[in-house]
Order: sequence, then C-alpha cells, then structure tokens
Amino acid sequence: MPLGWLFLIVLLIAALGYAAGRRRALAGAGGSLRAMHSLPTAYGWNVAMAVLIPSLLVLAVWSLASPFVLDRTVAPMMAGQDGEIGLLMSDVRRVAEGLDLLGEDPASVSLEGLRERLAGAGVALGQDVSAATLAAAARYKELGARSALLQSVLVLAVALGMGAWAVRRTTPALRARNEVEWGIQGLLIAAALVAIATTIGIVLALIFNTIKFFQLYPASAFFFGTTWSPSFGGGSSLGILPLVWGTLYISLIALLVAVPLGLFSAVYLSEYASPRVRAWAKPMLEVLAGIPSIVYGLFALLTVGPALLAVFGSGGLGWMQGGTAVITAGLVMGIMLIPFVSSLSDDIINAVPQAMRDGSLGLGATQSETIRQVVLPAALPGIAGAILLAASRSIGETMIVVLGAGAAARLSLNPFDAMTTITAKIVSQLTGDQDFTSPEALVAFALGMTLFVVTLGLNILALWIVRRYREQYE
Amino acid sequence: MNDMRLFERAAAVDGVKISAKGVNVHYGTAHALKDVSVDIGDRLVTAFIGPSGCGKSTFLRCLNRMNDTIPSAAVTGRIELDGQDIYDRRVDPVQLRAKVGMVFQKPNPFPKSIYDNVAYGPKIHGLAKTRADLDVVVETALRRAALWNEAKDRLHAPGTGLSGGQQQRLCIARAIATEPEVLLMDEPCSALDPIATAQVEELIDELKQNYSVVIVTHSMQQAARVSQRTAFFHLGHLVEYGETGQIFTNPRDPRTESYISGRIG
Repeated sequence: MPLGWLFLIVLLIAALGYAAGRRRALAGAGGSLRAMHSLPTAYGWNVAMAVLIPSLLVLAVWSLASPFVLDRTVAPMMAGQDGEIGLLMSDVRRVAEGLDLLGEDPASVSLEGLRERLAGAGVALGQDVSAATLAAAARYKELGARSALLQSVLVLAVALGMGAWAVRRTTPALRARNEVEWGIQGLLIAAALVAIATTIGIVLALIFNTIKFFQLYPASAFFFGTTWSPSFGGGSSLGILPLVWGTLYISLIALLVAVPLGLFSAVYLSEYASPRVRAWAKPMLEVLAGIPSIVYGLFALLTVGPALLAVFGSGGLGWMQGGTAVITAGLVMGIMLIPFVSSLSDDIINAVPQAMRDGSLGLGATQSETIRQVVLPAALPGIAGAILLAASRSIGETMIVVLGAGAAARLSLNPFDAMTTITAKIVSQLTGDQDFTSPEALVAFALGMTLFVVTLGLNILALWIVRRYREQYE
Repeated sequence: MNDMRLFERAAAVDGVKISAKGVNVHYGTAHALKDVSVDIGDRLVTAFIGPSGCGKSTFLRCLNRMNDTIPSAAVTGRIELDGQDIYDRRVDPVQLRAKVGMVFQKPNPFPKSIYDNVAYGPKIHGLAKTRADLDVVVETALRRAALWNEAKDRLHAPGTGLSGGQQQRLCIARAIATEPEVLLMDEPCSALDPIATAQVEELIDELKQNYSVVIVTHSMQQAARVSQRTAFFHLGHLVEYGETGQIFTNPRDPRTESYISGRIG
C-alpha cells in the first residue's frame, strides 16, 4: 500500500476514534457535562492522539529503517562482483525500480537489451545488467514488497489496536484533558528535539568528514600551509592560512565601516532623535537588514567595485587591478552590518536606566558628556557583544565575498588586492560534480568546521557578555 | 535635631534664594502644576509635602530645569535664582544645574568607582586643576556626606557595590562636590532604612550651613524634623506655605490640616 494511502487511512481511523471517544464519554455521563471530568472534545482528542502518535511513529521508523535493512540483506549477493559495493547496490536499486516501471517479471526477463529497455523507461545505468545484478534486483524487489506489506499491516494494527484500547478506557471519570495536555507537551518537546537532533547531525557530519579529510591530507599542512592551490588531478596544496587571512581582513574592514556608523546612528536614534524621527528612521535602518546578501553582492560587483576602480584603479591612483578586491567586499559587508550594530546597540543604550542620565544631567553635564562618560560606559559590555555578533556574521558571510572579493587566495596587506575567504572557497570546491573521496572535496568540511568553531566561539562570547550585562540592571 | 518643639525652632531668613511666581506646568494636556508662587530662603531647609501626584516633584524639577529633558513638559511663569530668571533664553540649563544640584529618589551612582562618581562633576566643570586638587575635592565631599570613613579604603571599588544608604550618601557627595548653591532632594530617603535615613537627615541639617536645601518628602515626620519652611501641595496647587512649626501645629487651610492629621492623602 502506498504511504500516502496508509497515512490517510490512519487519519481516518483517528477521526473515527475521536467521534467514538467523544460519544462514549458523553453516553457514560448521560449527556451531562457536569458529570464528566473533561470537556467532550478532550475525550475525542485523547483517542485520536492514542491512534495517531504510535502508528505514525511506527510508520516513520519503518520507512526510514527499511532501505538500510534491505541493502544489508541484499548486499552479500553482490559481494563477489567487481567494483565498489555502494555503486553496485545503487545499480541494483535502479534495476529493481526499472523492472517495476517496465512491468516485467524478474524471473522471466531476458538480460538481452535490458539496459536499453530500462533507459527507455527513464532509468539510466552505467553498465550492462549482469546476471548477479538481476538476481539481486529480483530479491530486492521481493523483499521490498514484503516489507511494504508488513509495514501496512503493522501500522494499521497499531492504529486500530490503540484506538480500541483508548475508546474502551474512556469513561466520564477519565482525566482526558490532562492526558491531552501531556500529549501536547510531548509534541512540543518532539519539535524542539528535531531542531536539536539536526544540529547534532550537522556537527557530527562535519566532524566525521573532517576526520576523513585529515586521514588523506596532513592537518599540519592544512592549518599552517601558506598556499591554496587545489587541483583535482592530485598534488594540491590546501593551506588554510591565505583563506583565514582573507576572511579576517575583509571582516576587519567591514567592522571598521559598520561599528562607527552603526554606533553613531544608535546614539543618535536613542539619545537625540525626536520620537517622530525615530519612528521612521529606525525601521528604515532595519530594512537594510532585510536585504538578501546576494543583492549586496550584486551591489558590490556592479556599483562599488567599478566606482572604487575609477578612483584607485589604473585610470586614477593605480593601486587597484580589478573591481573585485578586499576593500570592495569589506565596504559592502560593512554597510550590510550597520543595522546589526545599530539596532542591538540602540536596544542596549535604551536599557541604560534614565536615572543614570538624570544623575549626570542634574550635575550640570551636557548631553554629549553624559553620553560619553555615563551612558556609553554603562552600555559598553552590551555594545561589545553586539560588535562580536556582527563580527561572527561577517566571518560567515558568503555571497558578498564570492561576488565582490575575487577568487585569488593570497596573503597580502594591500586592501586593493583581490583575496578570498573560507566561505567563498567552500562554494568553489563544491560547485559542480564531486565525489566525496578526494581531499579536494573533503577539504570543504574541514573549512566548514574551522568556520563553525570560530563563529560558535564568537557567538558564545557575545551572548555571555550581553547576558552578564543584562543582569546588571535587572 | 530630633526635638519636636517646633515653635522654638529658629527660622532666621538670610534672604530669598529662589523666587517662583505664577509657575504652571503642563505635561501634554495634563495640567500638573497650577499657578505656584514660592520664595525659598537661603541657607534653609524647605520641605515640599503632599500626596502623590500633587506636583511637588514636578515643581522641584522646574527649579533646575530638569523638566527640559521631558519632551512633553511645558513650563510657564517666572522662576528667579538670585534675581535672575532661570528660564531666560540667555541662561544655559547646563550651567544652571551646576549651581542647583539634585539628588534623586533612588540612589543612582554611575557604573564607575566611588572616586570617579564624586570626581565626575568637578572634572566636567574644571573645578580641580591637578590630580591632587581633585583628591582634596573628593575627600571633602565624601567627608561632608559622612561617607569618608566607610569609603576611604575602597575609593576605586565600584559605587554600585555600596549598600543602599551608602549609595544615596555617595549621590549626595557627588552633588555637593560640584559646589552647588542650592541642593534639590527628591524623596532622598524613600528607598532607605531608618538608620540610613537618620544619617541622611543629619547630613541635610549640616548642609544648610552652606546651601539652601529643598527636599520633597512623603514623610511628614521627616519634614518636621529637618525643615524650617514647609510647603503643602495638593492637586497641583500650592495650598499653604510657611514656617514648619506653624504648618504642623496651626495650619491655616483645612486641607493642610486634614493632610497632616492623616484624614486625606
């Protein structure tokens, strides 16, 4: 039975269970709501949840697990063949799928021209179908059909069994509302767990692939190498230092742009602006944060780069070779970060108690003396946190540097040179077809891991600072 | 200090320090202060009493133009400090506030060291030329605020680490370090325990040797203990103003009598 149908039937059973639970509770109480512990709908939901949760759980687990089990069972049949077992098994799966599409019986099908017929049905194979592959495919198909049947039977049995059990235990005294509350809480926890599990999965994937990379390529050469020249033919140098340098250099320029501008606008907005100005200026600034970074990238490539080139390029001062350079990406990224710095700093400056300002003004300090000597020092830890968050954002930024900074991995002090960053190189290493066994592709994971550790560290530091600061005034 | 023989208290008047005539304050459309006229004497403690929301704090904030920091506040009328209209366009509120210091209801030390808290005003106004001068100014202010003995060994510890009463005395030290002529105190003891309150009251009594002190208080006992003149505010009106002894023993207005005897407020 296809999964969609199975799912619909389970839903139908749940709906019937809902009606049955509700009716049974009402009937038991003689129709009087006073005699019931919970509202009638709660009894209904209680039965519906008893049907849905276990049966859908079985459905999901079975669907996720059965391909692995099938592979494991069929794989020994292909053990004697040439080639990598993973590739052979994917052929087996494709043949099995193709036979379904052709509507041919694996027992009687002829090997002659099978590859062509499969191709005609839209299933492309890398080589001719061998007898062993066909046999494995037949076994795979048979086991797959059996698994699907078993799954349907089991899911329906669970749904019906749980439904019957839940309806039978429904009496007016049943604390259905409390049980439903428990169920809802469970659902919410499950939702949170999905996010956490995904994060853990990503981190594990990064770690394992990084380890795989370091088995192929020495870690010392990766972390301390000063040249980055990947070549898929082998013999590449994959030193991260030029990329780290490019990343830090561009981030530094971005922060040099974003911190003063963002901080000054935050001071203006929170201390000087009249409510009317603030009402439109703050949202306008925050619109900047809503612009997708690819648009900033276009802006860097098409506007800022040529403009800088006109001044610093060969027609002007002659320092710049092309429009893509550290300074181009840094300036544009700085503009992108302004709303980050300004909006967070604005919140933090506003959190400084008015009593501080009154105290200072009451001593005859001017407004700017008050801001410089009382408000900003009081807000400093929070502002530092905001800047660190902006820094971690700039280190992880990709599109602006891909379009604005160039592609040359280079260790140079000249901000008008093209350089590249960790993120941009991850993109270029993984664009196009890759097989994830060569160090040239796996290096992306090591780069990603490095980036992850750095930004995680910065974020933790920033959040720690911001939180410590918040407690100070609460 | 604590004697309640109000009639015998000397209330010698050196002269008028602040003179307010026909002061009205609006917050937006709310009329917070209605036609208040008061003469505040030099080297005296003047207490403002009255129920919450009666306008006494508003009037206090008019005296050093702190209401300027509230965008919706509009002040009309005339307030003179030593004969000079403080709302005149030529008067810089920043300079005015250096002369008319203020202590707030809640202790609000800056997140700086004790020393820097006290040195803040003198530094801003250039009252000390050298570091040694500044040390002297800080020590004098702390001594006069009766905080020197407790703070002298921890001058560079943060001011926020002091106890509530110490913090309030630090704020008073901070205010007197700028050598103001008038000290405004907005319920300076409302966040303090009785012992700290007694210390602050003693301090106020000493301060009147050099300053005129205006204190807003909710405690009628406190007003009776520390002040020579008392003004009673009610619903934005100045109901009665006179010698503290007369206000508390022989009020002329029935509303004053009801308030001090606890029937309203």
